Amino acid sequence: MSTSLRPYLQCVRSSLSAALAISNFASQTSERHNVPEIEAASSPELLLNPLVISRNSDERTFIEPSVNSVRVSLKVKQADEIEHILVHKFARFLTQRADAFLILRRKPVEGYDISFLITNFHTEAMLKHKIVDFVIEFMEEVDKEISEMKLFLNARARFVAESFLTPFD
Amino acid sequence: MLLLDYHNVLIHSLLTERFSGSTPVSIDQVVSDFDGVTFHLSTPESKTKILISIQVKCFRELVQYGAQQVLEREYGPYIVDPEPGYDFSVLIDLENLPAEQEEKHNLIMRLALMKRNAMAAPFERAFDEFAKLSEEASRYTTESAPQGVKEGGEVMAIHYREEEAIYIKASHDRVTVIFSTVFREETDRIFGKVFLQEFVDARRRVLTLQNAPQVLFRNDPPLELAGVPGLQNVNDGTLSYVTFVLFPRHLTPQRRYENISHIQIFRDYFHYHIKASKAYIHTRMRKRTADFLQVLNRARPENEERERKTASGRTFRVQG
Repeated sequence: MSTSLRPYLQCVRSSLSAALAISNFASQTSERHNVPEIEAASSPELLLNPLVISRNSDERTFIEPSVNSVRVSLKVKQADEIEHILVHKFARFLTQRADAFLILRRKPVEGYDISFLITNFHTEAMLKHKIVDFVIEFMEEVDKEISEMKLFLNARARFVAESFLTPFD
Repeated sequence: MLLLDYHNVLIHSLLTERFSGSTPVSIDQVVSDFDGVTFHLSTPESKTKILISIQVKCFRELVQYGAQQVLEREYGPYIVDPEPGYDFSVLIDLENLPAEQEEKHNLIMRLALMKRNAMAAPFERAFDEFAKLSEEASRYTTESAPQGVKEGGEVMAIHYREEEAIYIKASHDRVTVIFSTVFREETDRIFGKVFLQEFVDARRRVLTLQNAPQVLFRNDPPLELAGVPGLQNVNDGTLSYVTFVLFPRHLTPQRRYENISHIQIFRDYFHYHIKASKAYIHTRMRKRTADFLQVLNRARPENEERERKTASGRTFRVQG
């Protein structure tokens, strides 16, 4: 793990753990509704200060806490257009399976690649610190996966090109 | 399977079976090949007479460049009038096959290579033209060469697909083969760029490939194609031109058969590997997603409310 990644992840971990202090809160604008306040945004007093944690100019995490839900959005590093397309494909792949992921938001927040929406119902059903673990592990693995896929693509392209040109000799 | 075969495997296996002396059966099969080429194998008259027809999109252009002669050379005695809807047909009589096993194999292979042979005509013509031009050019010094020799022959265009074409141009010191290729999708375009870049770099990087043809690629039409009609100059990055420069060492009579086959397969090979990479990346992402899901499931507390039993099988029950 590189030197700048560790404090970045540590910071996300503590900020997210703190933000996950959420509780059941029924909607105060419409009766018998219980919606994630961060999505509804109907009462400004229920939203807490959003927080951006940046590792560098193109890698950051955006945490938006509210009284009963927290939205976490990730921006994954995209150095060139190959990484861009791989991140895009991967994010699409995940969001299409959002049902299984429970906390995954189907559509990322504007300006980010992937978003999670954690509500009080999730923290009740699941262990809070394990949810944080999941987000952190996700962040680590995504970077690794993207760079491995890119390396694979380059290696394959190289091999393919060489094998095509060899018979000409 | 890294390199693609030059021949059509289905035709090959079908004919091998028929030629092996098994009882004749009637065949009526349409076989597709790359680049929208269609074959039709049928037994219209009797079960022992197999009619093989081929339909190529750009057959008219190929005939212009001498495809008829090439096909006559390859299939001479078997040629019949083309079946309606097809461009070229041969009729094989199973009762009148070459006696030698070797010869039979040879014939099967030649038939399976029908697409390759039809497409080979312009290449052969370019190679011949190169030989002529280089002989002419050897009589002049660089300065005194007349215009025609310096510039080389005309550009032969084969529009072998809906929007894609091969352009071939012979000069006195090389033959240039240009493929125009279209990428429909953003992912393909980017993957294609990675692959093409490696084709360009391979020659420089690997010592053993110093003698391979030079490969260039660009998004606007190369200068060789200046003045060729029907070129769209849409510079939105979907259209790429891949240029192969074949040097005299690739054009020798000993090498030409193999090299013509090989360069024809370029587009299919190239696209095949783009698709294969996409498929691999897809399975990889699928696996990774499953891993993530496992991590998330760890967050659920394990269900502790399991029924407990004693060794003899009796259960505890909470009283009332």
